[in-house]
Amino acid sequence: MISNGPLAGLRVADFTIHAAGPFCTHVLSQLGAECIKIESRARPDAFRKPHAVYGRLTAATFDQVSANKRSIRLNLKQTEAVAIAKRIVALSDVAAESFRAGVMQRLGLDFAALSAVKPDLIMLSLSSCGQQGPDSHFAGYAPLFGAWGGLGYQSGYSDGPPIEMRHVMDHSTGYHAAVAIMAALLRRRATGSGQYIDLAAREVSSAMIGAALVQAAAGDTPQRPGNGSAQYAPHGVYRTQGDDQWLSLVIQNDAQWRELLDLLSLPADHRLREVDFSEVAGRLQQAAELDQALELLLQSRPADDWATRLQARGIPAYPSVNMQAIAENQHLQQRGSLTRVNELSGGERWAVGAPVRFSQTPAPGVYCTTPDLGEAEDYVYGELLGMSSETRQDLEAREVIY
Amino acid sequence: MSHSSPHHTAEDARPLAGFLVLERSRAPAAAYAGRLLATLGAEVILIEPRSGSVLRNAEPLIVGTNESALFAYLSAGKRSVALDLDDKQDRAQLRHWIERAQLVIDDTPLEERAPSPISEKAVAAVNPGAHFVSVLPFGAYGEQSSWRGEEINLIHASGEGYLLPNGYARALYPDRAPLRIYGPFAHYQAGCVAALSAMAALWSPCDEGQFVDVSVQDSALLCGAFALQRLGDGSLEHREGRSFRYGGVFETRTGFVQLLTLEDRQWHGLVTLLGNPGWSQDPALNDGITRSQRGDEINQQIRLWMSDQDADDIVARAQQLNVPLARYRTPFEVLSGEHEQSRGLFGPTQLQSGQMIPMLIAPYLFAETPLHTGGGVPALGSANVESTP
Repeated sequence: MISNGPLAGLRVADFTIHAAGPFCTHVLSQLGAECIKIESRARPDAFRKPHAVYGRLTAATFDQVSANKRSIRLNLKQTEAVAIAKRIVALSDVAAESFRAGVMQRLGLDFAALSAVKPDLIMLSLSSCGQQGPDSHFAGYAPLFGAWGGLGYQSGYSDGPPIEMRHVMDHSTGYHAAVAIMAALLRRRATGSGQYIDLAAREVSSAMIGAALVQAAAGDTPQRPGNGSAQYAPHGVYRTQGDDQWLSLVIQNDAQWRELLDLLSLPADHRLREVDFSEVAGRLQQAAELDQALELLLQSRPADDWATRLQARGIPAYPSVNMQAIAENQHLQQRGSLTRVNELSGGERWAVGAPVRFSQTPAPGVYCTTPDLGEAEDYVYGELLGMSSETRQDLEAREVIY
Repeated sequence: MSHSSPHHTAEDARPLAGFLVLERSRAPAAAYAGRLLATLGAEVILIEPRSGSVLRNAEPLIVGTNESALFAYLSAGKRSVALDLDDKQDRAQLRHWIERAQLVIDDTPLEERAPSPISEKAVAAVNPGAHFVSVLPFGAYGEQSSWRGEEINLIHASGEGYLLPNGYARALYPDRAPLRIYGPFAHYQAGCVAALSAMAALWSPCDEGQFVDVSVQDSALLCGAFALQRLGDGSLEHREGRSFRYGGVFETRTGFVQLLTLEDRQWHGLVTLLGNPGWSQDPALNDGITRSQRGDEINQQIRLWMSDQDADDIVARAQQLNVPLARYRTPFEVLSGEHEQSRGLFGPTQLQSGQMIPMLIAPYLFAETPLHTGGGVPALGSANVESTP
């Protein structure tokens, strides 16, 4: 049991599947919560099997969102397993699930049933479209949440198609779910009351375009800006020296613009030194010409070099980095944002640790790897529930624990 | 009263009713953290300069009134105190607020924060029990902690920007620059982490206030952690190869749709939706790995079929067949969506211009204690009179 971190002592009965729900409980576990992952050999977690559509032809050797979790097998299609699940929930603070709407009710594990055994339970139901509403039965994954909620439409090149949101859409959903759970826990502490949280992933996608929704509600037509800006110029991602090397750059004011010109060492008669570029209004008006000229100039150095030089002058700039660069990033390693973890196969690799540092109760981050199926059954069935070996063997023989 | 014990008032049963949060923000991450807490019931006070927060002018602006739609979204339900921190009386007002607060959320760059009366040290001197949540582009610690970062920098500093666009947009424009996600997406993830961490600090068994160091880069990186996971698998992801083997973005007669079938049963549903065309009857396609290998061919057939379909019609039919298919909806369509209306996603909120609009409340429903956006968008200094100590 984890004994440190701000959420030490908190226990989550984790029925979540796929990515969004497991990310929520993974984040809570990175802050110290104990997470009991309830799964079954009958329907293994996505990371335990090949995922051909994503191009992965074997089980994963490490799964970020399953790390830190304590795995038990429980075949919820059996009545006895449902009763055991309730006993686990009764010993937990939070129950989290991410099945399609109605599944937990069919299993006899909905909020009414679970709060009967744990009256102050905080329960999260996370789904694509929520537990109620005309589309609540719709099936979906991250790219569909992005499509339904508007984030996919608003993202993309201004003159191109919408773009497909990937797992960041799932994980953003998980972040929001963790926020909701923490708020409910604080209320429980103050009032003793439980809470049922119905989270729709497509509504997280909508929350990410909150400003565009305000525009639409006020009668405007929101634009898809691509990499551009109506406020700053230059504002974009520019090709630099090297193959497929890019720099993100924003000039926020005219003083920064002058710093940029100075850094570029442009001759006095260079077009970008002309007066119509000296103020932001002019630069915005001629953003296309500006971007073209700038991209030519930036190709004289590598992106890393530009970023260091520009940041030294107080200008927001950063290379467009791939994951190799992330893994080698000294700043992230200094912060403990990256952490070495063991794989199921015995190797070591980088994973992402807690995205926050606490001065008094340091978050444990990723402290153990992806669990083997059922590896925590001695702890959960033995220690927590007090089941004898004979009882467990019997339940296994009858595929209740399966 | 302990710093983590709010007053629950009869008139507001929302989860965080009774907590007082001070927010000094210039970027969307800290502001979104405050917005999440405000909607959950906390009293959130914007500590603004007399000239107003820079977020009041942040794009996008509403045509006609020039009011910032982003600020409106981020500040609904908060109150504003406008202070000149060099003024003695205003500093006394600030002290009054700090004495009462359980949380301070601040995104002032380190070099400006340290000498200010809202540094972690200054806050601890006035109220040792208050937690100080620092929200900075690259965090408060580490060799790049003083680096500046706007959204477009931070989405690329997290690795996600490099991977966009993938799929159809990438195929259409292979030579274009990588792309950000719309809006302050990376900042919103950090806003979640800041709100979550602030509440975790309140929850923690700690008598003293904590210093909580949130980084936008870290928050967005954890959000995109699967890409680092794949690096560990030996695969360095690139936007070019990040497409689904089949499925993706398709154009119909009436707009774009998204298709993704991960399970065998969903594939069979798709074949039914397509009308069991001859090409789909090849027995080899019953195998998921073969389908992935022949993804281009499958997508070509689907794209051809889609081009003559009505988006709403096929989405409805697909969902009946359990085929994950969704329409790419515009903000207008989301705003007027029957599903969203029935779930009460939007609540009446007053803009500074006086216009009442439906505004997104929160992407979660609390069954026992419904949420709302509170009193609308605060005018600059609207809480100044009340704040006299």
